[in-house]
Amino acid sequence: MDYTNQIREIASKLFAEGKIDVFVGYRMTGFDENQVPALIRDPNEVSKLVFTDKSVFNLTNYLKQDHTRNKRIGMVVKGCDSRALNLLLTESQVKRENLHIVGIPCKGVVDENGNKMQNCIECIFPNPVVFDEMVDGTPTGSEAPPYQVNTDIQNIAAMDLVERRAYFEEVFESCIRCNACRHSCPMCYCAKCCIDQETSTLYHGANTTSSAFHALMTWSLHLAGRCVDCRNCEKACPSHLPLHLLHKWNEQVIYENFQEHLAGVHEGDRGAFYKYSMKDPDDFIM
Amino acid sequence: MARVGVFVCFCGANIADFVDVPAVVEEAKRIREVKFAIDYKYMCSDPGQQQIRDAIVQHRLTSIVVAACSPRMHEKTFRKALSDAGMNPYLLEVANIREHSSWVHQKDKKAATAKAADLVRMAVAKSIANEQLHEISVPVTKRALVIGGGIAGIQAALDIADARIPVVLVEKSPSIGGKMAQLDETFPTLDCSQCILTPKMVDVASHPYIELIPYAEVLELDGFVGNYKAKIKKKASYVNFKTCTGCGACWQKCPVKVPNEYNMGIDKRKAIYTPFPQAVPNKPVIDARYCTMLTKGKCGICSKVCEKGSIDYKMQDEIIEREIGAVVVATGYDLWDPKPYEEYGVGRFKDIITSLEFERMVSANGPTNGVPVRPSDGKVPKNVVFIKCIGSRDEAKGIEYCSKICCMYTTKHTILLHHKVHGSHSYVFYMDIRAAGKGYEEFVKKAQVDTGATYLRGRVSKIYKKGDKLMVRGEDAQIGQVVEVEADLVVLATAVVPNKDNPDLARLLGVSYDKYGYMSEAHPKLRPVETAKAGIFLAGCTQAPKDIPDTVAQASACAAKVCGIFAGDTMKKDPMISTVNKEFCSGCQNCVTVCPYGAIVTEEVPMGHGSKEMRTVAKINEGVCQGCGSCVAVCRSMAISLAGFTDPQIINEIVSI
Amino acid sequence: MEAAVNNQLVSIEKPEIVAPPDWEPVIIGILCNWCSYAGSDLTGTSRIQYPPNIRIIRVPCSSRVDPWFLIKSLQTTADGVLVSGCHPGDCHYISGNYYARRRFLVTKKLLNFVGFHENRVQFSWVSAAEGPKFAKVVAKVTEDIKKLGPLHLYKKENFEK
Repeated sequence: MDYTNQIREIASKLFAEGKIDVFVGYRMTGFDENQVPALIRDPNEVSKLVFTDKSVFNLTNYLKQDHTRNKRIGMVVKGCDSRALNLLLTESQVKRENLHIVGIPCKGVVDENGNKMQNCIECIFPNPVVFDEMVDGTPTGSEAPPYQVNTDIQNIAAMDLVERRAYFEEVFESCIRCNACRHSCPMCYCAKCCIDQETSTLYHGANTTSSAFHALMTWSLHLAGRCVDCRNCEKACPSHLPLHLLHKWNEQVIYENFQEHLAGVHEGDRGAFYKYSMKDPDDFIM
Repeated sequence: MARVGVFVCFCGANIADFVDVPAVVEEAKRIREVKFAIDYKYMCSDPGQQQIRDAIVQHRLTSIVVAACSPRMHEKTFRKALSDAGMNPYLLEVANIREHSSWVHQKDKKAATAKAADLVRMAVAKSIANEQLHEISVPVTKRALVIGGGIAGIQAALDIADARIPVVLVEKSPSIGGKMAQLDETFPTLDCSQCILTPKMVDVASHPYIELIPYAEVLELDGFVGNYKAKIKKKASYVNFKTCTGCGACWQKCPVKVPNEYNMGIDKRKAIYTPFPQAVPNKPVIDARYCTMLTKGKCGICSKVCEKGSIDYKMQDEIIEREIGAVVVATGYDLWDPKPYEEYGVGRFKDIITSLEFERMVSANGPTNGVPVRPSDGKVPKNVVFIKCIGSRDEAKGIEYCSKICCMYTTKHTILLHHKVHGSHSYVFYMDIRAAGKGYEEFVKKAQVDTGATYLRGRVSKIYKKGDKLMVRGEDAQIGQVVEVEADLVVLATAVVPNKDNPDLARLLGVSYDKYGYMSEAHPKLRPVETAKAGIFLAGCTQAPKDIPDTVAQASACAAKVCGIFAGDTMKKDPMISTVNKEFCSGCQNCVTVCPYGAIVTEEVPMGHGSKEMRTVAKINEGVCQGCGSCVAVCRSMAISLAGFTDPQIINEIVSI
Repeated sequence: MEAAVNNQLVSIEKPEIVAPPDWEPVIIGILCNWCSYAGSDLTGTSRIQYPPNIRIIRVPCSSRVDPWFLIKSLQTTADGVLVSGCHPGDCHYISGNYYARRRFLVTKKLLNFVGFHENRVQFSWVSAAEGPKFAKVVAKVTEDIKKLGPLHLYKKENFEK
């Protein structure tokens, strides 16, 4: 998967037509084979843009930031990124008219070791669900394959209760409460956050397992029905916590019990907690 | 530093027998913030309240915990004690140590005492986070909107207007009067419907506090209780009501004849018409669907004969806006179409009619001058079969509920038939006779004796034609045999169904409605005329099938509720509602989606101090918010808080156990 | 989208931690004002007895219950939580309990996923007329939690009363 040339062409064209103020894509780090997000403001710099299977980050995270607010933005999105974009549009965080979305028919990105990412193997929306143009010009439209159960979830679910508790106790212990997960999440844009120290010390205690438990659980519930499985949080986590476990588990519970679409697949479709059905499961309630 | 006062009640022996009250007081004294704690035999008594009032002053208390019975019992009492001592009443917390401890753990005093102490600790912790709250006053526009001009709307409008509150009465058809104006006599007293209704209709027209807008519909209703804004479409009548004298020359000369809705299509009216002679307002309107001048541009006779020049073919629909404080919905009912009863030959046999058609025929001002006739040949029928529960109580073909009025009006019809047609005989097929109401059972009994009508308990299975008669075959369950009755005329007591416009109107008003289309009351027993939307009330068959006495009673109840809202210049409201902290609101508007009352709107605020860039945030309309807290729980950025149940208050309770 | 998903989790019956002999669980009950709180008052006025472990918190509606109240309770003071609201269709605030129901299910499953027995958080619909039912619910929850034993997983380390 290499769309570097197409993206440079499209970016140059958009600058030439005066459609955008800034183009958000990927560039090389300059010191290794990995890539970082690039904010291109100068048409002469489009040659910095690249796109390969190392273009891992979800760029929609930049849409909520001040240096792109109220600017006309060109942006590269993969399937998962576009779902985040859809939710941001639904939740009124971005103005559609300010965006020019360049869709990538994604074939999956790789991790640091060059292995295809787990979420890409299980991805059922590789093609963007919202875009202005696709890099290779072909429209998407193939029907989504069936929902795939995450293998990690299956492994954890197969443990017994005590093992699960022990496993997650270790996870929460390893958390250093840096909040990088929150910062990197495109769906986290609150001015005041449930995991902020200044909010949480009031109730949570200081930097402890207990507060990590509380913060990560609450945070994952805030993302339940909204997480698009881009795994920015995991990529950002310095402790390499398996944060996707919480999100994928919630996603699966919601998908199975409420017959909801996955987050951000349809524009205007809010997260599962902001609607209800009379037919929702009731048998767990006495 | 908080200074909490704790007052523990013995409630006579109710608490003291099962909870060691002095121990609870001692336990309370150990809490750092508690500066004063005392017990008393009856905290709610005047001396008990006096202790609270005194302690507030003496010990400079900042919040009060009363450990006694359920807050649902005496919260208001103790709040008042706080205000009497000059303290904000919402700084009170009640620890429910009676219903939640002494009464339910009577076998274990130690555990009950420990629990009571915990409950006190929780209440103390919560009270520390309590804020001073003030009753909200919402200004009100003292004008009521009544939708529908049937007997329910008329009664509500008159009652409200008699309290000198302006009323806007909107009626869809050209005249008020509704279904009741089509009735001949009314059960159980058999007084003439017109005689009791038309004086009220005239009162409406002449009442200085009622603005009657006939031939109009409500298009929009924005706002909230006390502050609604209604947009009303006044349909073009093509007649200038200001100059028209109602002389009737126009409709007498009009050449276009169309079925007369008032008489259930039994006779004809003209394209320009007044619905019935006693119509209010008694001014004609042109039915634009049929008038050839309007459809084809040919004719113009009415304009020529009108001496006042009141006819205006170019008249347009008019939009009227009114500011409204409260709304009464009285849109009435329709009758169910009996077409699914194919085995009865509905639609094939002309001599099967509905009860309302029968009602029109026996009416003195009806199309047949008060004598029932067979639609097929115009002969006066001798044997008439009445079939009840057509559509009602019939899950398969109709609806599940009982229409409530059919038993009584069918009884009335047997009497009317008996009076109007000498030598006639009534047969009534029925499932049950439901005559619950003042004088109803007596009325049915007397009618059965007086008319000699034959009552057959059972359902009709088939109607077929034999010569010019209709053969009605049914089961008489009481003798367990199939019976056949030779009928000249068959009258179907068709079910009452809600006005077909109800769901649309309900959505427009923001009121919920049930699966049939009846609008839903706020509580089936205790708030029967209110809707869940504050300031909107239901009268008559808008809510469920009803007879005239119930409808009028409900209409007057609505009027009382409306007058209650308008009793002061402002409305007092519980301050326990949500508020948005704009600084933290990210504008995702998920709260807007979950609010069951539509109380949350958005507003634009500057991005930062002095910034020209704007961002969207949520805003809670305090007049509409009912304080459920749905929005608080979905607000991820913790920008919304619900007064009285804030996050700090609840968390304090959780962590203080 | 058809999918073969399975989120049944393995649960164990044995107590998580051996309880001291005089141990009594603390259960936090969060009740909606209009149905369940009124129902619990009725239990009292009817003098129906139930175990004294529950500590009741009043909220206006089950929809006010933010999932983090449950997490917070387990993290700090409670061995178990009961949340109770109006029966579906009876919500005083029209639809609050429907929103709440979704959140409860996801919260319960998530807590179970990270190692809390599913009986640690329980839910019930109790109407204002169901005094006897409330007593039964409390008895059942108390018994369940007693079986599970004390939950002092995270709270021992730092939480100061």
